Amino acid sequence: MRRPLVSLVALALLAAAAGCGSSGDDNGGQASGGGTKQVKVGVIPILDVAPIYLGKEKGFFSKRGIELTLETGQGGAAIVPGVVSGQFQFGFSNVTSLLIAQSRGLALKVVANGVASTGEDKADYSGIVATDDAIKTAADLEGRQVSVNTLKNIGDSTIRASVRKAGGDPSTVKFVELAFPDMPAALEAGRVDAVWVVEPFLSATLGAGGHLVASNYVDTAPDLTVALYFTSEQLAKDDPDLVGKFTEAMGESLAYADAHPDEARQVLTSYTQIDEAVIQKLVLPKWPADINRESVETLATLAVQDGLVTEQPDVAALLPS
Amino acid sequence: MRSGRSPRWLGVAGLAGFLALGEVAPRIGLVSERYLPPTSRIATALADELGQPSFWAALGDTLEGWAIGLTLAVVGGVGLGLLIGSVPALRAATASTIEFLRPIPSVALIPLAVLLFGTDLRSKLLLVVYAAFWQVLIQVLHGVQDVDPVAMDTAHSYRLGRLARVRHVVWPTTLPYAVTGFRLAAAVALVLAITAELIIGSPGLGREIAVAQTSGAVPAMYALVVVAGLLGVAVNLAARALERRLLAWHPSARREAAA
Repeated sequence: MRRPLVSLVALALLAAAAGCGSSGDDNGGQASGGGTKQVKVGVIPILDVAPIYLGKEKGFFSKRGIELTLETGQGGAAIVPGVVSGQFQFGFSNVTSLLIAQSRGLALKVVANGVASTGEDKADYSGIVATDDAIKTAADLEGRQVSVNTLKNIGDSTIRASVRKAGGDPSTVKFVELAFPDMPAALEAGRVDAVWVVEPFLSATLGAGGHLVASNYVDTAPDLTVALYFTSEQLAKDDPDLVGKFTEAMGESLAYADAHPDEARQVLTSYTQIDEAVIQKLVLPKWPADINRESVETLATLAVQDGLVTEQPDVAALLPS
Repeated sequence: MRSGRSPRWLGVAGLAGFLALGEVAPRIGLVSERYLPPTSRIATALADELGQPSFWAALGDTLEGWAIGLTLAVVGGVGLGLLIGSVPALRAATASTIEFLRPIPSVALIPLAVLLFGTDLRSKLLLVVYAAFWQVLIQVLHGVQDVDPVAMDTAHSYRLGRLARVRHVVWPTTLPYAVTGFRLAAAVALVLAITAELIIGSPGLGREIAVAQTSGAVPAMYALVVVAGLLGVAVNLAARALERRLLAWHPSARREAAA
């Protein structure tokens, strides 16, 4: 190959870019004199993360010297790589995604609980909805098309658990990938037989003539822990003090949001565009301060059983001790 | 054609017809009102957005990313284009690499951008600059190649220096090409700025669209899409106005004005 100038320039640009990147990291977790640390957290702008917004508003982070910036990425595609590369100090992700990431050798460490199912059947913030009256229970999903937001993730894993619990054969369910916002229209048009949706789309599909078939999170485990806040093993090792403070602040935020659902609904208006009327009616998830370890083990076992991972994930290593 | 009055009138009528269709189709049940709200509802949502400071901040972020990215791409594209174009050896050496790099879609660099820069402005700039740069570079290269050899020889025989030749011979020939490159790049840069916001989540209009979508706020989502469209129209109009200004001396523009 000849030595073209353009590729040299491109290389130089990339090197400069990488340089900027790493210098950015240094500023990221660094104390700026007065003991206040700039912390970036990668989240998804959905109702699950209301506690961290509420906690920020209430000053639970600032009083511990954490200056919080919440970075939202659609679907969270940028969150895990962002945390691994040090762009974000912490991130929010569902349990199954974290188990998969860990089994692929990404060094992640959970620091706080994220969000949990309400634990009440047919009154959860997540559910399987169908319009066809022939689909009464999860067992009727055999041979049907069900949409999930991401294939080979927490959606299909927990739906299979629902089907199994209802006495059906989960291997015959056909999963298709659709974004949550597209599901109500897809269901109405009959492009899929059933959809798995979370709030506010659960209310939307039920309001548009769908009926609730099953509460997949509730069928999977009692009080299922759905998502968690995590950091990189690197940061957990380098700055245990910051991680400890974040965990404390997060615990206080979760407890506060769980105890003050009205304020949690209110904070949704600050970072989502969900309609006011919908916000007042939708089912909120639970925000316990503690991780339900048993349910994480259950998701790990399901992940192996459904072939999402090849080896049993090391749950103890992922979760904080 | 251009001087006639009817085309402009027809243009307005066409737009009005389109808006009316958008109003009527959902109302008579041709499409579901829930997923494609009538024009009037979108207009209300748009008015709502215009009243929110967060909307203006997002618009500012998008324009900032667009302007910085476009400037970098134009400066880099023109500079490198003139350099590569006027040194035949360099041109021969880089041709295959340029042809290889140019068709790589900018969006394919999203994973790289996220790894390097997370969700901030630099991610957006990487995509914008990469997409817009080639538009300018390729045009400038063509422009430099288009220089009249007789004019060049004349410049040589008048003993014009290298810089003077670039200034008086190469540049006037290249400018119309560079301006075309700029106009193409301006449109592409906007597309990529909004794509980056939509997918990576960098602050801006695209991210607002994504948030409206994840919130099930359908009219607000369409309102923001309309804003993105208007922005595209504005960028194109501005680029054309600039083109006419910069090239007022050029035969192509003079002929058009005379017609």
